[in-house]
Amino acid sequence: MAPDTGLAFLSYVVLWPVFMIVSSTFRWNLQDLRLSDQAIPGHFTWFHWIRVLASDTSYALFYHPVFHSICVGAATSLLSMVIGCGLAWLVTRTDMPLKRTITFLAVIPYLLPAWVLSQAWLMFFKNEKIGGVPGFIQSIFHISPPDWLSYGFVPIVLTLSLHDCVYFFLIVGAALSTINPQLEEAASLAGARRFTILRRIVLPVVLPSILSAVILVFTKALSSYGVPQLLGTPVDYQMIATMLYSSMRSRMTSEASVLSILLLLISVAAIAFYFRALGKRRSFVTVSGKSAGGSAQALGRWRNPAAVVVLLLMAAMAVLPLLVLLAQTFLLKEGAPIGPQNFTLHYWIGGSDPDINSGEPGILKNPIFLLALKNSLKIAGISSILAAAGGLLLGYVTVRSKRSWLGRLIDNVSFFPYLIPGISLSAMYITMFAKPVLYLPALYGTLSLLVLITVVKELPFTVKAGGAAIMQLGEELEEAAVVGGASWLTSFRRILLPLTRKSFVSLFLLVFIGAMKEMELIIILVTPRTETLTTLTFFYAERNYTQLMNVMLMIIIAIVLIVYALSVKLGKADLTQGIGGQ
Amino acid sequence: MRSNWKTIGSLLSSTMLAVTLSACGSGNNGGSEGAAAVQSSAAGEASTSPVLTTTAPAATVSASPVDALYEQAKKEGKVIVYSTSGRANDAAKTFMKQYPGIQVEVSKVKSDQMMDKVAREQDAGQFNPDVLVTKEVSGAVDFEMVKQGRYLKYLPEDIAPHEDEPFRTQAESVAGYAEFRTLWYNSDHYDKPPVTNWWDLTTPEWKGKVYTADPVGDPSFMNLFSTFAVHADDMAAAYKMKFGKDIELHGTENAGYEFIKQLLDNQLVTLDGSTDVLDAIGKKDSDALAIAVTGEVADLKEEGWHAKPIYDLKPKTSVVDAGYFFLAKNAPHEAAAKLFIRWMLGEADGQGAGIEPFNEVGSWVPRDDVKTKNEIAFDQLNLWNYDGEALYKIEPKVRDFWIKNK
Repeated sequence: MAPDTGLAFLSYVVLWPVFMIVSSTFRWNLQDLRLSDQAIPGHFTWFHWIRVLASDTSYALFYHPVFHSICVGAATSLLSMVIGCGLAWLVTRTDMPLKRTITFLAVIPYLLPAWVLSQAWLMFFKNEKIGGVPGFIQSIFHISPPDWLSYGFVPIVLTLSLHDCVYFFLIVGAALSTINPQLEEAASLAGARRFTILRRIVLPVVLPSILSAVILVFTKALSSYGVPQLLGTPVDYQMIATMLYSSMRSRMTSEASVLSILLLLISVAAIAFYFRALGKRRSFVTVSGKSAGGSAQALGRWRNPAAVVVLLLMAAMAVLPLLVLLAQTFLLKEGAPIGPQNFTLHYWIGGSDPDINSGEPGILKNPIFLLALKNSLKIAGISSILAAAGGLLLGYVTVRSKRSWLGRLIDNVSFFPYLIPGISLSAMYITMFAKPVLYLPALYGTLSLLVLITVVKELPFTVKAGGAAIMQLGEELEEAAVVGGASWLTSFRRILLPLTRKSFVSLFLLVFIGAMKEMELIIILVTPRTETLTTLTFFYAERNYTQLMNVMLMIIIAIVLIVYALSVKLGKADLTQGIGGQ
Repeated sequence: MRSNWKTIGSLLSSTMLAVTLSACGSGNNGGSEGAAAVQSSAAGEASTSPVLTTTAPAATVSASPVDALYEQAKKEGKVIVYSTSGRANDAAKTFMKQYPGIQVEVSKVKSDQMMDKVAREQDAGQFNPDVLVTKEVSGAVDFEMVKQGRYLKYLPEDIAPHEDEPFRTQAESVAGYAEFRTLWYNSDHYDKPPVTNWWDLTTPEWKGKVYTADPVGDPSFMNLFSTFAVHADDMAAAYKMKFGKDIELHGTENAGYEFIKQLLDNQLVTLDGSTDVLDAIGKKDSDALAIAVTGEVADLKEEGWHAKPIYDLKPKTSVVDAGYFFLAKNAPHEAAAKLFIRWMLGEADGQGAGIEPFNEVGSWVPRDDVKTKNEIAFDQLNLWNYDGEALYKIEPKVRDFWIKNK
């Protein structure tokens, strides 16, 4: 196979859709006949760009929403950095008790769909503005929370931060755990204070990981849709992504395309900023091949209080919503008081009963469930392994490539999939893969396409996190291996892979979770044969079968937790331990 | 080191390919199956006319059109349905009991995504679905799909005489059911509808007390507001009826836009969807009003909503929102598709069980020989017809107006 095939393939799956989107914004299409009498489908026009950027609608359509998006993006990355890095530091660098439990719990908010967290917020903080059953604050304290606390910017940022801080936790945690404590000890012996050690030794070493996570969380927040839709609508807090979906749903496709290109440009600017912040020193070698043992930072009298506070926060953020959802699956009638007359296992194991949900049987009795389960496991399993391996490889290229333009190119290009709305990307994939292309058979209608699009959509994360992991490794190790006669592949497999094991497992895990939850990306690509757990969940959600939907969520979360536990155990990738494990 | 990235690239792509192709091998039949289907339907009936009323395929000679279709459909073995509504799943269950040997596979897709999916599939030469169940999206379904010959109207000859207008001859296709969006009130708080005219909502009494699903995020709600602008004359007349004087426009184009502006100025509250809106007024005692779709009536008990829709408002209660049935262009299982559409329409006599999911409270079947479960018959409802052509043109303008004034 020609050596450039790989890049050609990447270009096809990533750059081609972007090119298609960009070029569509400069042409009239069939739909535009509704917008202008001058529209001639297929001909060149500036119309769409002028409409978005310089018309009397531009402020409402673009400038105001983009201001909101950037504020939310910046605040969310800042807040999740504080939470994620703080937690990561506590579990990797200190002697806090119950580290493993806390590490395990830290992933749970990410397992819940973000809208569950938003609804939990509303349950507590909603005020009279949106009617219905009052929030807990209102009914208990008889104080009406102000609108700014209940809806819009504040809750959007809080929910997104709780949901996405796991990126900081895992990526930065993996980096932190590679630092040899002797570095800190040496500094401490030399008389440095704890804060100085943090600032002068720990921070520079984990800076690439932090910046990677900043970029990821920033762009994720920028393109988030479900949370702002739920929490922003009551106070009309529009963001670019909500506008974009509105354009798409109202068949204003070119307008949606212009908006997504603008989102893309903002992120490219953010990445340029990232490179500037990293400066010339792009490599921060911390692993020299020697196992890092030694003692952790002693928290002294803060040891137990820290653990208690963290555990309580975790319980409120993760365990409580989970238990509420679980309890709801056993309620015959949603919202009715809990008691024996309202308790049922119907939604788990019941047969078809015409009085409940138009005869929809319990999940475990539904024949589609088994097919969906198999499909989901296949898609998530295969794509997360591929994505993790691919991420490390491409991350390697971005870090090590001697031609730095190539590294930057891949770094930038790999980001595009985050910013093309999942729906547009998957719609384009129908066209691209409905017919055989080059040596590829027609993939549309097969699970392969769902795997492919999942891997592509996660590229931004995997490449960034993979690169951050590689950056910590000294080049000498590979060079030594190559000098010793090992092929590049052998040195990758025998040296790089073991040393980046934690990052690999983190990558695998986050992609796996993402794939198990993925909905928007695959909804128009699925055919009845490629039904997945999430499409089934979506079906229940649309029909308002709350309990069945919650059972599905529980099953998805259970699967992820099992895979999580297994991968940590089998991959020997306990975050709380230094490289090499103890 | 120099050429390592090349090795990596090819390594990556070859593993990706190898794994995707081998691990999911079972799915690969899709391509060839699709191709075969294209051929067979191209060889068969390649009608480009948007109206198909043929019933019996020439191959089989049989007593009734249904028997003939069934014979043919059994050979096809299955029927693929893309549907915006879960009602199609319910109809599929009874269909498979009635016509064993034919498997119904329903994919749930939103109406706008269905358009993209089907158009792209067809352009690539893949003809996957047989039957489409969809709502309109501001006239786009008609303009982008029906007029382009992608969705085909199918009204069996023996059912046609019973189908109500406009769905028999005027509308883009046969409607399996029709709903509409209207005002709802809390049935514990009020014992009769507290308003009779849409303009009531612009008075101080209703300030901050009207909820709607956000039309910016949901075009089916925008359709209602656009219809006010389309029928501005009706809105002006209703204004005069309410206030006893001619309407005065405050920088707006007509009475429809003026109504939207005054409604927004009166602090209309937008929420995420129909369910949220009914939660807002129906979960506990409330003096507020909500705009939601009538189809939710069927869920009142299950959701615990104490709410009722208003079925008579001036100038008109609402605009019809029909659930259309279409045959897909080059449907690979055409006979089974026709059989399934017949089933959902209730067969020749309107008695078939397939009609039941559509004939519900809050949802009307537009057939003259089918008894509705609602207190009011469909033709007694005071509704605007769905003017797709006008809506398609005006909706971007109304949406702009909305986001600028909100």
